[in-house]
Amino acid sequence: MHIPDNYLSPATCAVMGAAMVPVWTMAVRKVTQEFDKARIPHMGIGAAFAFLIMMFNVPVPGGTTAHALGGTLLAVVLGPWSACICVSIALLVQALLFGDGGILSFGANCFNMAFVCPFLGYFIYRFISQRVKGQTGEYVGLIAGSYIGINMAALTDAIEFGLQPLLAHNAAGQPLYCPYPLSVSIPAMLIPHLAVAGVVEAAFTVAIVSFIRRVSPGMIHEGAKTRIRPIFAVLVALICLSPLGLLAAGSAWGEWGPDEIASVANGGKALGFVPAGMANGFKFDAFLQDYSVKGLPDIIGYIISAVAGAAILVILFRLFSLIGKSSGQRKRV
Amino acid sequence: MIRLQNVSYSYEGCEALRTINLDISRGESVAFIGPNGSGKSTLLKLLNGIVLADTGSYVFDGKSVTRASLRDQTFARTFHKTIGFLFQNPEVQLFCPSVEEEVAFGPRQMGCTEEVIAERSEDCLKLLGIAHLAQRPPWHLSSGEKRKVAFASVLALNPDVLVLDEPMNSLDPKTKHFIKDVILSLIAAGKTILCSTHDFAYVEGLFIRGIVISSDHAIVRDDDYQKILADSAFLASQNIL
Amino acid sequence: MTPEWLLRSEGYAPRSDRDAFIDKSIRTFLSILSRIRSQTRGTQRKAFVDARVKLVSLLLLILFTSLSHRLIFVGLCGTVVLVILSLSRGEVILDILKIALAVAGFTFVIFLPSIFWGNLVGAVTVTAKVLICVAAARFLAATTEWRALTRALGAFRIPDLFILVLDFTLRYIILLGALSLDMLYALKLRSVGRNKDKTGSLSGIAGTLFLKSRDMAEDTYSAMECRGFTGTYRARRLPGLRVSDAFVLAADVAFVCAFAFIGA
Repeated sequence: MHIPDNYLSPATCAVMGAAMVPVWTMAVRKVTQEFDKARIPHMGIGAAFAFLIMMFNVPVPGGTTAHALGGTLLAVVLGPWSACICVSIALLVQALLFGDGGILSFGANCFNMAFVCPFLGYFIYRFISQRVKGQTGEYVGLIAGSYIGINMAALTDAIEFGLQPLLAHNAAGQPLYCPYPLSVSIPAMLIPHLAVAGVVEAAFTVAIVSFIRRVSPGMIHEGAKTRIRPIFAVLVALICLSPLGLLAAGSAWGEWGPDEIASVANGGKALGFVPAGMANGFKFDAFLQDYSVKGLPDIIGYIISAVAGAAILVILFRLFSLIGKSSGQRKRV
Repeated sequence: MIRLQNVSYSYEGCEALRTINLDISRGESVAFIGPNGSGKSTLLKLLNGIVLADTGSYVFDGKSVTRASLRDQTFARTFHKTIGFLFQNPEVQLFCPSVEEEVAFGPRQMGCTEEVIAERSEDCLKLLGIAHLAQRPPWHLSSGEKRKVAFASVLALNPDVLVLDEPMNSLDPKTKHFIKDVILSLIAAGKTILCSTHDFAYVEGLFIRGIVISSDHAIVRDDDYQKILADSAFLASQNIL
Repeated sequence: MTPEWLLRSEGYAPRSDRDAFIDKSIRTFLSILSRIRSQTRGTQRKAFVDARVKLVSLLLLILFTSLSHRLIFVGLCGTVVLVILSLSRGEVILDILKIALAVAGFTFVIFLPSIFWGNLVGAVTVTAKVLICVAAARFLAATTEWRALTRALGAFRIPDLFILVLDFTLRYIILLGALSLDMLYALKLRSVGRNKDKTGSLSGIAGTLFLKSRDMAEDTYSAMECRGFTGTYRARRLPGLRVSDAFVLAADVAFVCAFAFIGA
């Protein structure tokens, strides 16, 4: 679910980043209220745990494995605000150190995985466990919370992708970033999460929380005692589901320009068969058009290619000399 | 039963074991002695297939232990059932919510009937003196109790070979005596015992054979255990005593 | 005294089971630990370019690569990355290219269906941009110590306490990661048959990991308190900028100008 750079337009990334700023600020405030300042460093340990949870290969019936996110798990055991910070830090480490998730899209990734998933999951868990007493309420709450939490994160992911063709395209109407509209991105993201990843998430979350409850129940974060009113549940559900209206309300977006919509709608409809335009072959001159710039001599393009070519030769040379080195010292680990 | 020939292993550029040659027969009780960083733990991990040698060969019970052979599930499982490992840190071996489940984990996997599982769990708990802890979560036990639980759960597999990585670490004297008695009874039962240890005072009479690993990761002496212990000059030169 | 079954050696025919999840998890943890260990090695070599300048340059490169609509500018960005790579050691190049090509390849495969709708330019452009951005980000990670990176973030007005949190995160990823790895090995050694509750075993490890992390947090808090920590922390400052940094910053300015002329 980690979105790399260049799948979302920088504008979308900026919006998602801006959306996260108040969440982060609030989270920091809540956490510093709850813990005294000297305890803050051990949020790092929580973040380490959040990071490592994502590394486990959880078995799926059938023999394959999948990774869990643990957003709802963290919200239940650490509290939602701490979970938000810990997952954000874990995502930062993944982006900076492992190239897992982009730098510009960091805000979007945090929105999906550090905000939507833990908060919604926690909210649902508390809502159910407060109404259905005993162990059943706990389990059902955990299952529902983690399953819906991760799927909602997948949905917001899909919405961010699916809006790109509408928001960002060049003069020819070609999408600049993710080319798939909502009608493609939403099923593409949701189906695997509803069918597999969500189930894995729920199973893993329930199993871990039951283990902790059996072994050391005092370790689980005790949330606020206030009851969560049903009206909020309805509101949240509405907010989360409203983007789906974008799928149906194609006409509402007609205001963006009918020819632009036509090109996107063409693309969206064409899934499964090859449009007639392909009979004319691919438009290679589209590349060449972009390679020269009006007003500047063609030489710029040539210089860039020459430098690139030289750099590639040096890189290949260095890579080949690596092969020579490693065949000299074979190491079986 | 266990044969290592010219085994060497390095990790991240640092040498951990150098040209190890070893021949251990069924039923032997062997102590591995050496200073910190000599490679004792690494050798024990290698014997269990957790790390694989860079060079040389490891033959266990007539079969070669390599990355390829361990990919064969049947061989790997039989191998791991036949040779049991007690990690230096007992905490890493405990992942079940109760002691009873922890000990029953092995036999349950082996497909034993419920009666056999119950019998073996009970026997192992009694042998290690932790029957009263059966329902407790291992997490909250003292370090001595944790080590006993880890020992019991490895024993429940009924391995032929028991590899113990510094089993006496952080145990109080009474528990050390207790563990020593358990090991003695296992030797009498015909198990092959391989043990790395620093604690010479508490392992009197346990080992017949001693193997000394030097600080440059090679075996410097393979001799009668009592003789090695009596040679204080040698032990001092190896930074062991 | 010794139970009868312990006295005999029993033959054993294991039932088959799918326990790829243990091996896969072990491999994942091994690779993460080795990467993070190399990130926190603390090499004596002084960095050629200050971490703050590298971070700013990376951000500019990624931002304008992503913003640009012109293939020629993307070509320029690619050339910049190629030149930087060609100045690096072979192992570093291989490490960077492996990941960058994997992500770019994956991107291209995902975008493949859209090519059939006529989106060839878009697919190729995005794939190229992904290749460039991931390679640049990996280059930063491969050539910068974690501690330098976190302190570089301090240049962006991030509070020092947060830097401490980041340092803790990495340190404990190593510690807890090593613990997880040992637990996975222990599970593997005892997985001698058919495990009917695989998720249970794995969640036992994860749950124990959580409890251990809480314990370690408490111990660390106590240890820090004993040494007088009350919540204020001043991170060690990075040394001042040098001539090499000035050159890179000048190149950054030129890059932004290039975007203004040919990239938009």
